[in-house]
Amino acid sequence: MSTQPAHGDATIAVSDELAARDDMIVCRDVDKWFGDFQALSGITATIKEQEIVVVLGPSGSGKSTWIRCINRLEAHQSGQIIVDGIELTNDLRNIEKIRSEVGMVFQQFNLFPHLTVMDNITLAPIWVRRKSRPEAEELAESLLERVGIPEQAQKFPGQLSGGQQQRVAIARALAMEPRVMLFDEPTSALDPEMIKEVLDVMEELARSGMTMMVVTHEMGFAREVADRIIFMEEGEIVEVGTPHHFFTEPAEERTKLFLSQVL
Amino acid sequence: MTDPMPPAAPSALAAEPVGPAASPPDRPSLPPGRWIRENLFPNARNSILTVFAILVALFTYRGLLNFMFSEERSWIAVRTNLRLMFTQAYPEHQYVRVWVTVGIVMVLAGLSAGIWARWGGVTLKRLMGWLMSGGGLIAVGVLIREPSVLTDAAGETVRDDAGELVRESFAAAMADRWVWWAVALVLFALGLALWLRFDDLARRTSEIPVAWLVFGLPGLLVASTWVIRYGHYAFADGEFIAEPGQLVAMSTRVPWTVMWLLLIGCYGLGRVARERAIASAQAAADASDDVEVAEEGAGGEGAPELPRGALAKTRAVVNLAWVLSPFFLYWVVMRDPEIDYAHVFSTMLPMGLAFGVAGSAVLWWLTRSDAGEVGRLAAIGLLLLAAFHWVAAFFGWYSMLQVARIAFLLLAVAGLLAPNFAGVAAQRRRLVGAWLFVVLLVFYGATVINAPSTIETPTDMFIGGFSVTLLVSVLTIMLSFPIGVLLALARTSRQPIFRVLSTVYIEVIRGVPLITLLLFFSGVLPLFLPDGMEIAELAAAILGYTLFSAAYLAENVRGGLQSIRRGQYEAADAVGLTTTQRTGFIVLPQSLRVSIPPLVGQVIATFKETSLLAIIGLFDFLRMANSVVPNQSQFLGVRREGLLFISVVYWVVAFAMSKYSQRLEQRVGLGQR
Repeated sequence: MSTQPAHGDATIAVSDELAARDDMIVCRDVDKWFGDFQALSGITATIKEQEIVVVLGPSGSGKSTWIRCINRLEAHQSGQIIVDGIELTNDLRNIEKIRSEVGMVFQQFNLFPHLTVMDNITLAPIWVRRKSRPEAEELAESLLERVGIPEQAQKFPGQLSGGQQQRVAIARALAMEPRVMLFDEPTSALDPEMIKEVLDVMEELARSGMTMMVVTHEMGFAREVADRIIFMEEGEIVEVGTPHHFFTEPAEERTKLFLSQVL
Repeated sequence: MTDPMPPAAPSALAAEPVGPAASPPDRPSLPPGRWIRENLFPNARNSILTVFAILVALFTYRGLLNFMFSEERSWIAVRTNLRLMFTQAYPEHQYVRVWVTVGIVMVLAGLSAGIWARWGGVTLKRLMGWLMSGGGLIAVGVLIREPSVLTDAAGETVRDDAGELVRESFAAAMADRWVWWAVALVLFALGLALWLRFDDLARRTSEIPVAWLVFGLPGLLVASTWVIRYGHYAFADGEFIAEPGQLVAMSTRVPWTVMWLLLIGCYGLGRVARERAIASAQAAADASDDVEVAEEGAGGEGAPELPRGALAKTRAVVNLAWVLSPFFLYWVVMRDPEIDYAHVFSTMLPMGLAFGVAGSAVLWWLTRSDAGEVGRLAAIGLLLLAAFHWVAAFFGWYSMLQVARIAFLLLAVAGLLAPNFAGVAAQRRRLVGAWLFVVLLVFYGATVINAPSTIETPTDMFIGGFSVTLLVSVLTIMLSFPIGVLLALARTSRQPIFRVLSTVYIEVIRGVPLITLLLFFSGVLPLFLPDGMEIAELAAAILGYTLFSAAYLAENVRGGLQSIRRGQYEAADAVGLTTTQRTGFIVLPQSLRVSIPPLVGQVIATFKETSLLAIIGLFDFLRMANSVVPNQSQFLGVRREGLLFISVVYWVVAFAMSKYSQRLEQRVGLGQR
């Protein structure tokens, strides 16, 4: 983002007690069950401001569940999740506050099919951020420029290719001027030739200093862009490390097994 | 249409000369003989089926014709009773009120069509098909209908020795029907002229604007009243006097001409406004070098789409007029209410002013950016207070004007909506403005509704026939729609109380026959009402219909709600929309367009079900044809003609709605490609 929202106003004064000042996402002993099935067990991790964290792991390892807990699309049952100094509880106002600070990009894009690209992007800035329409449209145009599709503003999502749709989804998330971006397998539903255009946008975003948490199967992206890699299996964090450490000298047997299967 | 070219495409690609767009090979129409052979008689089995189907169609058609043109039919009963069937015995000297009502509807219809309609065109081929098949159908009809029965000088039918009816000869019958022959020939000749004048390609590609047909055909009909001697019916001393061979009465001819001119004029006005808006948007787009935006709408049916945001005020005014006009026309224009001015100045005006000023102050305060939790509590407090007034009224604890109770409730609702308008000055002003408008509407409405009607008619209802059918269906549809949507939302809500209440309501209503409900509301409900509250029969009927139709609409909307994928909810949540915003901007718009077909089906059903009004004693369209006309001394027992006539009218309206819904589906399907 070109302009970071002001930080340190009164509502975030509690942050020092809960987490260090530059901790953007803090998870402590997070547990999550779906019925009898434990999807997350004892997740503890901290993501610093401007850090790029890639979460890897086999299917069903709880990566997506974890990332969806961070903006409360799923509720965790025990432990603490603190985003930008605000703890996620059942308090609706905290949830609303966190959701407007955290952008999310989905595997299936989830664009609003009845609205034009422009309306998809400006809806939340106008109604949640209370921007005026011209202001929001100007922002949307600059974001579309940034993701490389300025000429598609008046089209409907159904008229765009998958890669274009995912880039619109990224622009829609960025329009809220979030402090963190969550990516839930952003390229898994795309045809191979469209994956690169989305990854390029994500790389550019990473270079601009956005805090990002990315669940993906793109090993190349993880190797090139990530500051840290978190490897998960069966709802637990198995190993954390830099890409260099992770891809060349993994410590855990399970990590080695996973890498031998995907590389 | 789509442009999947990635932005990073190498420029060499863009530099390539763009050839003419490849179009599918032209497929000329088959000549008539070959078309018939290939489609109707391709093999033995299909030939037998074709012949069989044609015979069935001919026999049915012949039966219908023999019924319609039989000597026993007395179509004059329908023709003389047209006024009665459409408006009941509305007083002659106040008939101008009916025309004003029709006129307002014409103005709105013309403006709406002018601003919104993108009707496209009818190809010459289809037009030719209509003309020739219309002419052919009439010619076949003239040929196959039995010759008329002969009558003697006294007007009695002539019978031969065996007691059989004596019919005129075939040749004489054909000669008698020369007018029909002429019409058939003219239609057929027009079709043939098109066929000869244009070649196949031109017939398939040239189009006549649909607007010409939509406005031209009624125009021709209206114009014909000035030329053709349809016959005239005078009304004197309570008797109809038929004067065949005369032009239609001035008092019918002139208003209809004015109506048609109004329609056309307003359509033209709307068109001009539309063209200007499109042109200015185009100019603005050219100026900002952003050609893309303006050209985007050029797809579809050739007519350019109205740019978004253009004419916003005009469109808002026209829409509002559509919503308010049924109430205004019904209570003010048609009833000519006698307003008690003393009461207005002593009570209504001061009270309305108080609500307007105090309510505005409350809302202004509630929309401060720092109102926060206190504001929310205050709004809930208002709601409790408003609810308390209603409870108090039910138990008769203290008296209070009904209008005040309603205003309190509306203020509480506005207060609950206030957080959506908080902070920005323009938004706050908009909320307060809307509140003042609502107060004006409520107090004006209450004054007018409570004033007695000055229109005097033989029955205690001042309208009847088709107008009451129309009134009940329009009001029912307008009222039941929001209730149905709310019920559907409540039934899918996470709040257990809402869910249970709505489910119980819907299941109870759907399990009860409509007639029972109507009888209950017209006969039993008044006994349950607290003292001093009365409900007119018509209002009770509308209430019954509304509650019934709302339950069905709710189920249709719920079907649409269930079709929305979970990802849409998640995406709306993830960008921080509140639950209300998510419902209003994301969920409802998508689910409503999915449920258009069942919703329109329900609307059509409601329109037809208004014929049950006859059962609870109201004089609706059906009752006019079924029992009022057959009881007139001149037309004793003439029922079948009227029933056939009203069937045609019902069908025309229902068919128009069905066609409109198909177009609507196409139009809103735009985003889902």
